[in-house]
Amino acid sequence: MRFSLRHCILLSMLFCTVLPVAAHHGMSALFDFNDRFSRTGTLTRLDWRNPHIYLFVEAEEADGHVQTWAFEGPTPVFFRNRDIASKSDFQDSIDKIVIVDASRARDGSFSGLIRSITLANGKFVPLCPDNC
Amino acid sequence: MTDRTASMKGKVALCAALILAPLFASGQESAADVARAERQAARFEKQSRVLTLFDRDGTLLTTVGERDVYAFPVLSPDGKRMAVVRNDVFNEISDIWVFDIESGDGTRITSHASWDLEWADSPLWSPDGSELAYIGLRQGYESVYRISADGEGSEELLYQHTGAEVWLGDWSTDGRYISMSMSNFGGGFLYVLPMTGTGERPAIELFHSDSELLAGSFSPDSRLLSYMSDESGIKEVYVRTVGPEVVSADKSNALSWQVSDQGGAFSIRAAWSPGSDELYYMAADQSIVAANVDGLSSSGAVSRTPLFRLSQAVRVNPDQINISRDGERVVIAVPPAPKLEQVTVFDREGTVLQRLGDPGIFRNATLSPDGKHVAVTTRMAETGNSDIWTFDLASGAHMPITDDEMHDNWPVWSPDSDKVAFRSERGMYSRIYHKAADGTGTEEAIFEYDPGAFLWVTDWSADGRYLTFSDGCWGVLYVVPLDGKQDGPERQAMEWLRDEYQVIQARFSPDSRYIAYLTDELVHDVFRINVAPFDPTHPDGRVEDATPVQVSADGVLGMLSWRGDGKEMYYLTKDWEVMAIDVTTTPVFEAGTPKLLFKLPGPLPGEPKQWKSVTSDGKRFVFVLYVPASIIEPL
Repeated sequence: MRFSLRHCILLSMLFCTVLPVAAHHGMSALFDFNDRFSRTGTLTRLDWRNPHIYLFVEAEEADGHVQTWAFEGPTPVFFRNRDIASKSDFQDSIDKIVIVDASRARDGSFSGLIRSITLANGKFVPLCPDNC
Repeated sequence: MTDRTASMKGKVALCAALILAPLFASGQESAADVARAERQAARFEKQSRVLTLFDRDGTLLTTVGERDVYAFPVLSPDGKRMAVVRNDVFNEISDIWVFDIESGDGTRITSHASWDLEWADSPLWSPDGSELAYIGLRQGYESVYRISADGEGSEELLYQHTGAEVWLGDWSTDGRYISMSMSNFGGGFLYVLPMTGTGERPAIELFHSDSELLAGSFSPDSRLLSYMSDESGIKEVYVRTVGPEVVSADKSNALSWQVSDQGGAFSIRAAWSPGSDELYYMAADQSIVAANVDGLSSSGAVSRTPLFRLSQAVRVNPDQINISRDGERVVIAVPPAPKLEQVTVFDREGTVLQRLGDPGIFRNATLSPDGKHVAVTTRMAETGNSDIWTFDLASGAHMPITDDEMHDNWPVWSPDSDKVAFRSERGMYSRIYHKAADGTGTEEAIFEYDPGAFLWVTDWSADGRYLTFSDGCWGVLYVVPLDGKQDGPERQAMEWLRDEYQVIQARFSPDSRYIAYLTDELVHDVFRINVAPFDPTHPDGRVEDATPVQVSADGVLGMLSWRGDGKEMYYLTKDWEVMAIDVTTTPVFEAGTPKLLFKLPGPLPGEPKQWKSVTSDGKRFVFVLYVPASIIEPL
């Protein structure tokens, strides 16, 4: 179902055979899908609201300092409509170690678009196709 | 059926049994389960199509397989089989199937779990028809795989793509390469993947561009590559030299030519004739075109011959058509009952008063406050582009408000009926424009949203001071002040409502004191109407701690509207019932009991959550109805 979820935005939402709730952003405008990176760190905060959720992760960088990363996820509806993970799964990971695989922000900030996340309990949560 | 398939089916059955056991035990389904089942059924009804084979003259030869939700049909090199992605909307899985065209028998080639976790698309046949290559999503990676075309054996990973938005284009006739493309706001890239040997291999960039690049297709002699690009601002088919060695070709001396001339050509991959002298593609007007490109390299000359044209009633997305390598067969996923659409005016009892214009493709019919005109979005047959039109109810004549190469939609009338506001996409920005309702003058940008973000324009307040819109996720309701200090695209929107659930269709009460909206707060995708106060003195227009008033039961489709005197509201139920409800806004908002006005012959085309279908006096309604139509149009 990649086409209906992604190309309706690229073409025209209007006349597609389906009108899914489109992604808020054409994500590649803000994030470079070819610059994929991973951070392992502590999930310190969760902002679970529209149009997209945000996760804040403190991760140790190569030089040893701890950097806070802001990771953008899909809309809350993404999880409401699927069986892959719930808000409580994420809440249970606060103050625990998570692994985030993301596309880096084009503006060079310490932020990224989450492609997948491994929660503290080991649950792997892929966020494609919305974030891919 | 492979062992892997059987194993997966077993797991799915076990999981399903575990999930459903509590439901059966209690004998009840939750509202969410019911809503999900209804959503799946509606999706099947709306998206399912029949795989239909035509010859190059447009004669229908046969249909293949059952009606289902298909994507990426691809004919095998010998024309006897078809690979296609079959989307099972009821089990929410997406797999590649191969159908025997003569018998219609299908074989499931891949076996995926939920399409939220994994899927496959862009199937390609190897030149000898023994293998399929495709893009598969596994563990968050879009990668290229190869599998036997009979479904036996396991898939082989050829290339793991670390990025996203990758599509397969073609498998060269000499079997040596697959073309891949990747396009997003960062530009377009065309790659080839060497196909000799086994295991993972690197992708080799052929060229890149600031523009979108898609659908690389090798000429049979591998000297040329056709592709799609929007380098001129609109999508066209191009041909480029790659040389017989493809990857070692001197890219700096590569030549390219534009082949199509209508713009908007978007057949997902063009097909070459065996002699490399003709190229076949679907043009913007949905005609299948044979372009003679024999003289390209010598003179750049191209002659184009339309073979046949699909009716506008068969709106074909790029992933719903494939032209065989010899140009003799075309497979198209066709709706089971092709339909056009007509703007239709009803009275309050549901009697049809008037049908406006000829059948075409129309959406979001919106009555002007003075009741004299209807604004619609229409799909232009020649270009596939969407523009805004108005219809004059007295004469039935239509007037184009926009006529450009951008997609314009979501028309909303100004309170004096003199202007129409609409959304248009310019580059990576969605903007709200307005233009005189008689089509004269130029459009004026009145708001610009975040880069890359989509928006739905929903209302223009009766006092003329505010516009409302929803973000593309239906997650936030915004109010744009039109009389503030900012001007044009510099205007800042007020964030009136933001939470975890969906909200859409913010509609001001005529006194601008309240906003009605749809929300699925309790059950996903099951909408109800709430009304909450609007305070223009608050930075975000909210009244803190105000409790919204629920106006309707759950199950509202949309068409949320107020009568001009603020004493009645209207909406559409999921059973296509047009409802009215007495309301008052003074001293505070209160609502009575909804009553049925009439029932529509639904489902109707378009998105009801965008409709504003009622005159200010509540006496006339406008909807777009389906009209039966043919599959093929005369050239």
